[in-house]
Amino acid sequence: MSERFFPDSMPAPLASATTLPWWEAAAEHRLVVQRCTSCEHTRHPPAPICPECRSGESDWKEVSGRGEVYTFTIVHRPIAAGQELPYLVAVIALEGSGGLRIISNLVGVDPGEVAIGLPVEVVWEEMSADLAIPRFRPVSEEEPR
Amino acid sequence: MASNGIKDRVAIVGMGCTPFGERWDKSGEDLLVDAAKDVYASANVEPDAVDAYWLGTMGSGTSGLMLSEALKLPYKPVTRLENMCATGSEAMRNAAYAVASGAYDLVMAIGVEKLKDSGYSGLVTSRPPDDGTSASMTAPAMFSLLAPAYAKKYGVDEGELKEVISRIAWKNHCNGAKNPKAQFRKEVPMERIQNSPRVAGMFGIFDCSGVSDGSAAAILCRAEDAHKYTDSPIFIKALSFAAGPAEGAYSQDYDFTTFQEVVASAQDAYGQAGVANPREEISMAEVHDCFTATELVLMEDLGFSARGEGWKDVLGGRFDGDGAQPVNPDGGLKSFGHPIGASGLRMMYEMWLQLRGEAGERQIAEPKLGLTHNLGGQPGRCVSFVSIVGK
Ligand SMILES: [Zn+2]
Repeated sequence: MSERFFPDSMPAPLASATTLPWWEAAAEHRLVVQRCTSCEHTRHPPAPICPECRSGESDWKEVSGRGEVYTFTIVHRPIAAGQELPYLVAVIALEGSGGLRIISNLVGVDPGEVAIGLPVEVVWEEMSADLAIPRFRPVSEEEPR
Repeated sequence: MASNGIKDRVAIVGMGCTPFGERWDKSGEDLLVDAAKDVYASANVEPDAVDAYWLGTMGSGTSGLMLSEALKLPYKPVTRLENMCATGSEAMRNAAYAVASGAYDLVMAIGVEKLKDSGYSGLVTSRPPDDGTSASMTAPAMFSLLAPAYAKKYGVDEGELKEVISRIAWKNHCNGAKNPKAQFRKEVPMERIQNSPRVAGMFGIFDCSGVSDGSAAAILCRAEDAHKYTDSPIFIKALSFAAGPAEGAYSQDYDFTTFQEVVASAQDAYGQAGVANPREEISMAEVHDCFTATELVLMEDLGFSARGEGWKDVLGGRFDGDGAQPVNPDGGLKSFGHPIGASGLRMMYEMWLQLRGEAGERQIAEPKLGLTHNLGGQPGRCVSFVSIVGK
């Protein structure tokens, strides 16, 4: 059973040829980053060529889904209809990703308790049968730093 | 970054600008007609004298027809272009290169945006729903990420930083109060700014620029022809543009206290103009204060303040209308308003007035070099324009 945090009315992502493998992994609750097969440099979001060596060859590396909050903001005004406010947006430094960050929502945490450096882990929100979106919540066992 | 520049080869010989604001009485085409009439009169030319046109609009129209139809131009070359919030500056940059090349003798750059009849508050975009692997965020949310990062890096207490950004809004409202064409012509007390309803992160309503309708325009020619049109032309010393690889927000190398694109375009512009010390040599600037924290970071990226020192210069009044280096003397995006395609040309309009001694109550004493800075995008993923102009 997947937990739900955002309404069905949120605009749904539209995968492109470049990002389809990322969304297919997400549907299996696997968080992946794209990796250049020429120079091993990782990148996110998925893109056709490597920013380091400009090679077009790549594969996908699974990461743990753990990380920490690099910075964050609390949004008090909606971007789409039917959103609950406020909501949290965070830039998360992903563990084991080769120095990548992802921008996502923080869920299951009071805005007052979020701080830079907070350890977080991925939680998959199943928006529909074949669409899962990664959100992040504080790591349960640890106290926020 | 390599560029040869066109220092002192191109002159601006006329400028026009409509009042910015909620112009329910005007369509985009009406605003273009008003700005064009103003700029033709300013340059003392008939419409037929202008050889080619560059129209900047982010989303209020498509193709050169928007302008040729509004102005009833007789089969002239009209290019419509878009480069996010730097669209107006990009129109001027391309028009300047066209006369510098010799392809045309007299050209117009004109920008317009009609945001208020879109049925939507804020920016409209023609993009499809985001792919979702990159973030889809509100503009205030994206730029609000700058504030806590800056506070932490330089050891500024968040309460103190709130005062710094509020003072930027206060300053830009003081300047806009003296500007008859500005959208918001009222001084606002610091306390009201600091306590305004929150929008995102540390930002309240008063940390955000105005959503507006408006148009602005320039007529340009080669420097040697300038005095045919006006006794006091202004000359382009530098034009620079940088589009980044958009790695910033997703790379652990980036710390949200700078725009690398701004640093690159500023350094290129200073090289073209021969400016060694911008803090001392740039008399005044119009910068892209889409949000208050953006203006703070820009002071450091443009080299007006040392890294980590910009907040002290803000509190010390260095960038006030009567300060050592006035920034946004016309009220900026905050108070003059931000009709996207027009904003870059509106910035240049203030440089035009200031350098010619026509800025009235806002006049800066003996300005030598003026800088405009126009930004499109968000921290870590943006385009940046810098110009330097002088007499
Ligand atoms: Zn590579």
